[in-house]
Amino acid sequence: MSNIAGKAYAMNVITPIRWYTAWLNKLIFWVALQRPATLKGLITLSLIHYARWVIIGRDQFPHVHPSQPRETLKYSYMLFFSNFNGSWDQYVDSFTFAIPSGLDMFWKWNVRYSKSVSLTPFHKYIRYNQLDTLHYYNAYPLATSNDVKSARIVKAKLLDFDSATRDASDDDFAKQYRTLLRDLQHDLGDMYPTPIVSMSAYQVERRQRWHEGQLDGSKH
Amino acid sequence: MTYQLDLLDIQGNVLRAYGRFRYPAARYVFFNIRDGAKGRAFVAALTRRVTTAVQWGEGPDKLPPPEWTLNVAFNYQGLKELDLPRESLIGFSPEFVAGMKDRKDILGDDGPSAPEHWDPIWQHNRETREHDVHIFVSINGLMPLPKDAKPAAVQAAVNDAKARVEAGYRWLLEQVAAQQGGVALLGGHRGDNGELLDYQDVQAVLENGVPTSKEHFGYTDGIGDPVFEGVPYDAERINGRGKQLANGQWAPLAAGEFLLGHTDEALEYPPAPSPLLLARNGTYMIYRKLHENVGTFERYLDEHGQRYPGGKELLAAKFVGRWRDNGAPIVKAWDDASKARFDADYKAADGHGKDQLLSNFTYDEDMSGGRCPFSAHIRRINPRASLEFTRDEQDPAKVCGAFSVSEGAFDTPGALANRRRVLRRGLPYGTVKDRSRDDGNHGIIIMMLNADINRQFEFVQQQWINYGNDFKAGNDKEILLGNHSQSEHFPSKAVLQVDPASDDAPYILPRLPRFVETRGGEYFFVPSLTALRMIAAGTVDPT
Amino acid sequence: MGNLSGNAYALTVLSPIKPGIIADEQIAYADKVRSILQGWNGLPNSPMTAVPQTYLCRYFVLDNVYTESQPGGSAPDTLNDWLPVVPDWLRRAAMPAHDQLKSRYLVFSANVYVGPSGDIAPYLRGMWQAIRKEVESIWQYCYGFDEVKDADGFAAYIQRCALPASLFFVGSNDEPLPEQLKALYIKQQFARFAVDNQGLPTATLRQNFQAFMKQIAPHELATPTWEPGKYRLP
Ligand code: HEM
Repeated sequence: MSNIAGKAYAMNVITPIRWYTAWLNKLIFWVALQRPATLKGLITLSLIHYARWVIIGRDQFPHVHPSQPRETLKYSYMLFFSNFNGSWDQYVDSFTFAIPSGLDMFWKWNVRYSKSVSLTPFHKYIRYNQLDTLHYYNAYPLATSNDVKSARIVKAKLLDFDSATRDASDDDFAKQYRTLLRDLQHDLGDMYPTPIVSMSAYQVERRQRWHEGQLDGSKH
Repeated sequence: MTYQLDLLDIQGNVLRAYGRFRYPAARYVFFNIRDGAKGRAFVAALTRRVTTAVQWGEGPDKLPPPEWTLNVAFNYQGLKELDLPRESLIGFSPEFVAGMKDRKDILGDDGPSAPEHWDPIWQHNRETREHDVHIFVSINGLMPLPKDAKPAAVQAAVNDAKARVEAGYRWLLEQVAAQQGGVALLGGHRGDNGELLDYQDVQAVLENGVPTSKEHFGYTDGIGDPVFEGVPYDAERINGRGKQLANGQWAPLAAGEFLLGHTDEALEYPPAPSPLLLARNGTYMIYRKLHENVGTFERYLDEHGQRYPGGKELLAAKFVGRWRDNGAPIVKAWDDASKARFDADYKAADGHGKDQLLSNFTYDEDMSGGRCPFSAHIRRINPRASLEFTRDEQDPAKVCGAFSVSEGAFDTPGALANRRRVLRRGLPYGTVKDRSRDDGNHGIIIMMLNADINRQFEFVQQQWINYGNDFKAGNDKEILLGNHSQSEHFPSKAVLQVDPASDDAPYILPRLPRFVETRGGEYFFVPSLTALRMIAAGTVDPT
Repeated sequence: MGNLSGNAYALTVLSPIKPGIIADEQIAYADKVRSILQGWNGLPNSPMTAVPQTYLCRYFVLDNVYTESQPGGSAPDTLNDWLPVVPDWLRRAAMPAHDQLKSRYLVFSANVYVGPSGDIAPYLRGMWQAIRKEVESIWQYCYGFDEVKDADGFAAYIQRCALPASLFFVGSNDEPLPEQLKALYIKQQFARFAVDNQGLPTATLRQNFQAFMKQIAPHELATPTWEPGKYRLP
């Protein structure tokens, strides 16, 4: 297994919902979509590249061939997939510390959900319903969500600065360069490998290969 | 009802930073248990002399402060050698079981901080049974009130404090001798001249013989320290040290953040070994010997102090978030004028007023870091409520290097900081003989106490000191402590932000060297007095 | 539709795996799929690097659904506390029941750029074209996959296995992947430039800046840039 790809962690959680309350979850998500303010906590945490919630009705598991038996389930299910930066603990803890009521709102209708406070039962709930990823691919293992957002700003600012200063005097150039750096003073963080969060033999060996320049074959 | 702690059941070093209570010198001693029964007898002897957290003074529930304090802790191997039942042992946290050396990758103890450079006692720990550290004992000496304020009198008082440490140490050696080989003292602490000593001495840095609250880089230390429920002598110290609430007030943190067997900020008991009597009123302690590269620090500060527009002292303040001379927080004193105002207020204030000037502040007025940079020591280690922040603009055309409070985004403004706090104990060690050199033996013995090593200390060390994503700083590390890169190819840097409304450019500290290196350490468990007595009697029984 | 947020698309695929056994390896199809996917971790990089516009994606095998939950404390439980007449069987009836899937599923979940059309099919055709061999090596064990013969067939098959998302949260952005990678490259380079040029006289700074802009070629997406999936900087 490999839940980690560079600075991203792949979380998959599957939890049962009573089939007759599944619509309530859908309604809550619909409201969240209409009112971005409900996602303010998530946006402020800024730890997620992409996340999704999928509700599978108990008779909606994909059926693609006549020879495939149809599922007969008691519950419907909610799948949660997240691509977040940091370790499992950091992520889960940040969420329960910062936005417990938001979490509860999304999971509330799941069968026997433990609520996000206290922490230990919530940890257990997530742990036991978590599905480990076998292969995880990340197009930018060295970048966090913050970096991706910053990068867009850096590029745009740089292009603006370049065109605005082509014909400027030296003094004006210097002044605008100061402004450029000031505008970007929170966007210049380095993108080096992540601090170590996993001590699994596979991740340890991977770090070794990184140090030896074997990943991507880019030795130097 | 106000929260009550059983002060006589809690070890004194958990609730008190002794340095603040006129104990300017201390000695830390480590032991190897050769025989379980004799080890327990040794613990029994020490327990009778252990300093508790009882209030000091006169009155029915009070006791006079001891001439020397004594406190005891064990690492995992030690508890095993004392024959704690396996069922109790497996209840301790995995990182405590593994020990500090094993956690080096998590802590960033690499390069010059790697275990092969640690003091011999720490290098040899957890390698062979005979050299394993098992027991930690600390002795702090009380300084009598000097006859007058003249340096000679103060010096004499400091010497008395040291003599009391010696007295405590002699007593300790008698207890060792009484066990006839059942307990062995472990030497191997590097001393000032490279010699190996049987103990680690620490003491306040002296100026003209007078103890100060300075550390070897010249900063005023020992101000910030969490305040939590039920500590009677901290009642006046909550503002700036507790947790910051949405209404701008401060409240003490939950006791369970620092003591096992008490409810924590998540309204539950922190994970702890069983039985409850073993865990309750105990806590985990992180012991670290941190060497300060004074020469490197001085050179780097000189070089950049000349280029940095605010000058050398402001630059030094930016590293930590406090001015070196009196500890003024830069959020309150960010330039010459505001510093002059602060100094005048400080001079005029009484003891409590001074303390509040130093400790009672937030980052609310400095969300962009123009005063206290995001990579400064105290902002990284205790960001207070400043992580509830956001850039209101995603449109590049409007982005201007400013952040603002993301009001109401979190359950409570300090949500991301309140469960990452650590109590801070310890003192500087060694003397700096030549400020142009790194070698020698000088630094800080830092001891941090918390209920969950992984959630509190290790998280801060890994995510906030050696990494910067929570501060939107990518891999940029905390300036003073970061394990800055040794590689040409991936040099470390830090950005000193400026006021977004100014015409200035941020100053970038390039190619940061390592100012601080790890020279050893271990994770310990500090039991309550009840637990000590049970350990000594061999009656810990989770069945 | 919940799968789309701007130009980004949340693809969630559950392909049912047939119950067969590979006799000479003593391995069930689903476990074979698992072991092939694990094998990808040992390659210098993921095969998915070759699939255009993939931000992040993952594969796993769903063996069954899980129902860990709170031990007690449901509504009948609380009633039982207040009213001793609530029988114990009623209280226990609220505890979660065991559910059993009849097939195991290969789960493929991807976050990709699809552009304004909002159509996932072009992405899937691109995937087939880029890594057909790898795709077949795992999906061959799934029901109905034998009928897939070409890129269109693959796109159609995957869409039959796909489930709609109720909520898709884009915390980074929805630009095309090459744009994101180029921007990251520029960010890293500019941070270096800012360090190296701090405090230089304006004329020199200006000269260096021009050279810098030339070197990073901000409008060239193809190069210089970060390659997808790169763990190590040039
Ligand atoms: C040689 C190493 C170190 C030096 C020179 C140093 C120096 C300082 C100084 C000068 C202050 C400001 C004064 C004050 O607020 O008390 C401070 C505060 C602090 N330091 Fe350190 N420190 C060192 C290592 C550490 C380590 C390893 C940690 C923990 C991971 C730590 C945790 C703290 C905390 C919690 C504060 C108080 C922050 C606040 O509450 O605002 N320090 N340190």
